[in-house]
Amino acid sequence: MSKEDLLDAIRDSIVNLDFDKSKEYTIKALEAGATPQEIILKSIAQGMEIVGKKFEESEYFLSELIVAGEIGKEITKILEPYLKGAEMKKIGKVVIGTVRGDLHDIGKNIVAMMLEAAEFKVIDLGADVPPEKFVEAVKNERPDIVGMSALLTVTMVEMKNVIEALREAGLRDSVKVIIGGAAVTEDYAKSIGADGYGANAVEGVRICKQWVTQK
Amino acid sequence: MMFSHLEYTPKDIVFGFSKKPLRYGVGLEVGNGLVVPEIKYFPKVEKSVMEEYRHITEQVLKKAVALGTECLQLETELTYMEMEDKKLVADLISMQKSMIERYAKEYGLHVGYRVTVADIRDFGKPRHDEESFSRMMDVFELVSSNGADVLSIESEGGKELFNYSIIRQDLTGIVASLGYLATFDMKRLWKNIVSIARNKSVLAGGDSACAFANTAMKIAGGLRDNMIPHSLASIVRVMSACRSLVAFEEGATGPGKDCAYENVYLKIITGYPMSMEGKSSAVAHSSLVGNIIAATCDLWSNEQVENIKLFGGYGPEVFLEILHYDTRLMNIAIANGLHYCLRDLMINSDKFSNPQAFVLSPDIVFEIAEVIVKEKDTLSRTVASGIKALELMHGNEKLNLSKGERRFIEMAKRKLEEIYSSPAQKVENALYQYEGKVEKLRVKDYLEA
Repeated sequence: MSKEDLLDAIRDSIVNLDFDKSKEYTIKALEAGATPQEIILKSIAQGMEIVGKKFEESEYFLSELIVAGEIGKEITKILEPYLKGAEMKKIGKVVIGTVRGDLHDIGKNIVAMMLEAAEFKVIDLGADVPPEKFVEAVKNERPDIVGMSALLTVTMVEMKNVIEALREAGLRDSVKVIIGGAAVTEDYAKSIGADGYGANAVEGVRICKQWVTQK
Repeated sequence: MMFSHLEYTPKDIVFGFSKKPLRYGVGLEVGNGLVVPEIKYFPKVEKSVMEEYRHITEQVLKKAVALGTECLQLETELTYMEMEDKKLVADLISMQKSMIERYAKEYGLHVGYRVTVADIRDFGKPRHDEESFSRMMDVFELVSSNGADVLSIESEGGKELFNYSIIRQDLTGIVASLGYLATFDMKRLWKNIVSIARNKSVLAGGDSACAFANTAMKIAGGLRDNMIPHSLASIVRVMSACRSLVAFEEGATGPGKDCAYENVYLKIITGYPMSMEGKSSAVAHSSLVGNIIAATCDLWSNEQVENIKLFGGYGPEVFLEILHYDTRLMNIAIANGLHYCLRDLMINSDKFSNPQAFVLSPDIVFEIAEVIVKEKDTLSRTVASGIKALELMHGNEKLNLSKGERRFIEMAKRKLEEIYSSPAQKVENALYQYEGKVEKLRVKDYLEA
């Protein structure tokens, strides 16, 4: 196969959600003289675009969008040694966590994975995260965005505490805050002073992308 | 003991009738020709916990008297926070029980009382958080001593791998989670719970796969959400039945817990009465199986409602009224010999509208349950039941399936058939690879517990 055919084959393996083939073709493409940048632009980015389009057209499921993102990450890992220490370009940084008292993390995990697939650097603090841990992460990581999730009405009050803690630490204005989760509503987001509310993972990621591109 | 045959045919399984009826609580009989409402509530945070529960219990029992509900069950599901305070738990349970007994005596109510203990374990800790396991067992003892009639849990063994796998459509991970890790955990857990229940003369009710199948159902969402395939959520439900059955193999007798939609499988296999929920639980979460799931219930529940003020009263009393009328309709159908007719209407209203409803239809359940009981271990049952469900979905022309669903079904069937060729080997090999990738997964702790 020619270099161009191999780049197309990597793209198609992403679209077909085939982990093994994507790795195989990536190694072959590098051997055939493809640069990491070509693989990123012509294979990964195009593949992800096709998968995203199929998701928008309801042909693919969100889970398949996530799998495609994971394949993209795996390919990137193969490319890392060839990038000679050059930093992989990220469009923004997000600190994310499920708030204190809430152990439900699957919604937060979906958002984190989709953010990574959308080229964000994600600092995932996990579940049951106290306000001080959010503050510490914002201090240390200097993210663009803080994302919080809560499933329960009894725990969503913690979101307000996190925003207050960020304010007290003088960090509130340095980040955008987005919240989501089964118990949360747009009105609640407004009432606690969050900047945004994601009704679902797709919308949450769309808002984050909008924020960083407007910067 | 592994169940090896079915207790019903698809023709004779119906709401209100169980092959093994149960008598418990204050004169309550379940599964003997009557469907019983089971009300579950959640305290609002502003008041003190005891004050909240007193208010809830009183309003529910008063409403039962006002409506003429002769039989009912209350369910209290302890929260993580309540689990930390044993005195609070003891006081709460005995307060509710004495109120139940007072109303039963004064008004002739027949009442059962289920208590669901929270699974508070952190599976990332060594030996799966032995301290929390002990505390859970202490709480089971405590609630049994203070008035609970039925013990339940929504245990979460295997959940860490399931969460990783479900959003990636990773069937090996899902099978390993449900058919292997969860099974090890369920055996240990239910051996202990059954022992406590027997010592205290209460019922070991069952264990919902809420953390698995309801998570999949919730993620799948509505018909056009395209989050994960509904056919994936359907096979997770079916495979979860094999996991939830383990509680009964260890000696649980039901009534099975409401949010286990897989209970229709457990009823057809074990013959014990089951609680179920559907349209009545829209207050807690949405589903695509609102009517069909009522077709075989013995108790009919609302899942959970917060104690908030609505126009018609507080949440719990309002939902008891809804359950009262739902069950009264089912019971009057029984009294008039029309229960099979009503059952069929319930089934047909949902069955072909989506894959999740399809796999809860008694005829489909029967075919899949036959496959389950033929297999000799839970792992093989998990894989074989998934394959059968996919075959039945794929081969049914009336079932409404999108192009994406059909694509998934074909892919999933190939994958499960590959696993079925040597399930233990395939799963064990895969598990140690997951360990490096899945947060908190400690495979050895499952095997050594």
